[in-house]
Amino acid sequence: MTEASCHSPASAPVAPDASTLALVGHPNVGKSVLFHRLTGTYVNVSNYPGTTVEVARATARFDRTASLLDTPGVLALPSRSDDERATMRALLNENLRLIVQVGDAKNLRRTLNLTALLAELGVPLAMALNMTDEARARGVSVDAEALAEVLATPVVPTVATGGEGVAALIESLPHAKAPATMLRYDAETETAIATVAALIGERAPHPHLAARGLAILLLGRDHEVENWFKAQPAGAEILAKVEEIAPLAGRESLPARLARERGRAADALARTVSQQSAGSDKTLSLLVGQLAVHPLWGWPLLLLVLLVVYFFVGDFGAGTLVGLLEEDFFGEILNPAVTDFVNAHVSPTWLAEMLVGDYGLWTMGMTYALALILPIVTTFFIAFGILEDSGYFTRLSVIANRAFGVIGLNGRAVLPMVLGLGCVTMATLTTRILHTPRERLIATFLLALAIPCSAQLGVVFGVLGGISFAAAAIWGICIVLILLVTGLLAAKLLQGRRVPLLTELPPMRLPVAGNVLKKTGGRLKWYLVEVIPLFLIGTFIMFVLDKIGVLPWIIRVGEPLVTGWLGLPAEASAAFVMGFLRRDFGATGLFALGSQLSALQAIVGMVTITLFVPCIASVMIIFKEQGAHVGIAMLAIIMPTAFFVGGLLNHILRLFM
Amino acid sequence: MTPPFVERIRLTGTPTGRRVRLAEFGEEIDPLQREQLLAYGLSSSQPITVLQQKPMTVVLCEHMELALEHVVAQHIWVEEE
Repeated sequence: MTEASCHSPASAPVAPDASTLALVGHPNVGKSVLFHRLTGTYVNVSNYPGTTVEVARATARFDRTASLLDTPGVLALPSRSDDERATMRALLNENLRLIVQVGDAKNLRRTLNLTALLAELGVPLAMALNMTDEARARGVSVDAEALAEVLATPVVPTVATGGEGVAALIESLPHAKAPATMLRYDAETETAIATVAALIGERAPHPHLAARGLAILLLGRDHEVENWFKAQPAGAEILAKVEEIAPLAGRESLPARLARERGRAADALARTVSQQSAGSDKTLSLLVGQLAVHPLWGWPLLLLVLLVVYFFVGDFGAGTLVGLLEEDFFGEILNPAVTDFVNAHVSPTWLAEMLVGDYGLWTMGMTYALALILPIVTTFFIAFGILEDSGYFTRLSVIANRAFGVIGLNGRAVLPMVLGLGCVTMATLTTRILHTPRERLIATFLLALAIPCSAQLGVVFGVLGGISFAAAAIWGICIVLILLVTGLLAAKLLQGRRVPLLTELPPMRLPVAGNVLKKTGGRLKWYLVEVIPLFLIGTFIMFVLDKIGVLPWIIRVGEPLVTGWLGLPAEASAAFVMGFLRRDFGATGLFALGSQLSALQAIVGMVTITLFVPCIASVMIIFKEQGAHVGIAMLAIIMPTAFFVGGLLNHILRLFM
Repeated sequence: MTPPFVERIRLTGTPTGRRVRLAEFGEEIDPLQREQLLAYGLSSSQPITVLQQKPMTVVLCEHMELALEHVVAQHIWVEEE
C-alpha cells in the first residue's frame, strides 16, 4: 500500500506493452524495501505481515521498458487468503518475464518451500536471499552458490534495507532461468499431476505458466487458478478431471500431501546448503520480543507504550504544539492580519465573510486543518511509525487474542484495528489479512463504528487531555466497551466459526529513523492533499447552509436531540453536520467550542462524534470491499448507535458528575 | 532390534524453554491450518523450542517465532529431542 496516497496502490507510468517482473515472497521479508530500491517508488514498509494488500507497480530503474510488481506476501501457494489470491492473480494475468523471489536467509527451509512451487511454474526466477544480516546475527550461513547450482538459477544474498547485494541482484537478472524442479512427488501424485498437466497443455495452455505448475495448483485447490480455468473454453473439462482425481489421495487430502512433500524437499535442500552455528539463538531482539508477549510483563509494557503515546500526542502534540500554533501564531498574529487584510480589500461583504467569517475558508477551514489538526497528526504519525517499525503491533495480537475471541475474532484482527488509529480507510483494506468473510465483516464494522482515525484521536486527546486524564480514560473505557458489546452482538448474529490464531511474530527491530520520517512525510502529504480540500469543502457547505438559513434550522430541529438527549449546547449541532464529511472535522468543531463545554459535555460530545459516521473515503472503501447493501446497513446502524450511546452516557454521567 | 520407545506429549504440555522434535499433527487440526503449519516450516521431525505457554503457545522454529492458540497447539504432538 502506498503512502503517497493512503488509499490506492502505487503506480508510476509504465509503457503499456512492457514486460513484467514480479517480486514474490513470504510476508515481511522485505519485498517492499527491495521494490523501493529497484524502482525508486516508495510503498509503505512496516515490520508486520500484511503491509502490502494490493499489488503495486512501477517502472524498474534498471530497465525502463519493464514494470516491476510488488505483490502481497504469500504464506504459501496454493493461495488461500485474499492477499495470496491477489498475488496469484498477478502471476496468472500479468505478462510475466521474470519472478524475483525474495527469501528470508534465516528461514531458508520456509523460503525453499515456496521455491518448490514457484519452480514448477516454468517462469525464469532469480532469488534475492534477503536479511542475510539477521541470518548472520543468528549464526546462520547459507551457501548461495551451492543453492544457485542446485536451482540452476541465480541466488543473490541481499540486505535490502542497506542496499547490500542489490546491484549484484540486478546484474544477475538477465541470467535468470526457469529453475530446476526441486522434487518428484510420490508415484500416485505424479500420475495425477501428469494427467492434469497433459490435459491443460492440450486443451487450455496458459500463455506463460507451465502446465505442470498449474496442475499442482489445481490439485492443491487454488481457487484463483480454478477461476482462471473456468473462464477458458475447455476449462470445465479440466476442472472435471481434477474432481475425478482428487479423492484418490486417501486419508490425507491431496493439498496437504502436496504441501507435506514440498516441505520435505525444502528441508532436505536447506540442510545441504545452510549451516547453523550453535548457541546463537538468544538475541536481544528475541528477548525483547518475549517480554512484549509475556503473560505478566506484556501488560505493563502495553500500558507504558500507551502512556508514552498519550503524552507525546495528547500532551505535547495537542497541548504544546497546538497552543503555539493555534493560540499564539494563528490566534494572535496570522488570523487578525488576514482578517484585517480581507476586510480592507475584499468586497462584497459576503465574499469577505466566506473567507474570514465564522464559517470562513481561512478562519475555520485552514485554521482547523493547519493549526489544530496538523500538529496532532504529525506527532501521532511519528509515534505510530516508530511502533509499526519496531514489530510491536504483531506482538499485541498475542496478548489481545483472548479479548478478541469474545467478539468472534482472533488476535490477528489487532492489526487492522491498530492501523485504524492511523487511517480507518487504509485499515479497512487491511482487513483482507483476516481469513474469513465473517471476520472481515465484523472487523470492518467495528472500524467504521468505534475506531477513531489519527486526526480524530488527536482532537479527542486535545480536548479531553486538557480537562483531565480521567476524562480521557472515561472516553477510552466507553469506546472499548462499545467495541466489546457491538462486537459480541455481531459475532452472535453472524453465522460462522471463529478461526484460532496461528501467526508469525516478526523480530523486534530498532526503528530506522529514515523509514519513520519517510512514512511520516508520506502520511502528512496524504493528509494535506486529501484532508485539507475536504475541510475547505465542508467549511464552504457550512457557510452556505448558514447563509440560506438551513444551519440555524438544523440547530433548532436538532435541539431536542443535541441539548435534551445529549446535553450539549445547541451550537454542537453544527459540529455533527460537519461530522458527516469527516468525523475529525466534526470533532474539531467541538474542540473549537472550547470553554463552552463542561467536562461532562466534552466527554459525551467526543464519545458521540467518535461513534459517528466514518469519513467519506472510508465509506467508499467499505462499499468497495463489502458491497453497497452491507455499507448502507452499517451506516443505518452506526448513526443511531452513536446518538443512543452518547445520550445514555450523558444520563449516566450526570448521576456522578 | 526394536527402536527405542520415545514418549509423545502434546505441545501445550511441554515446559517452557524445552527443545523438542515435532512428531505429528493430530487429526483434529483443520486441513487449512495444517497447510499453514507446514508453510511455516513445522513439519515432522523438525526441532522447535517452546518459548512460552501463556497466554498462547509461542515456539521458535528455525529462526521464526510462531504463536499458536492452545486449541491448535494441543493437537500437535512432540517428542524429546
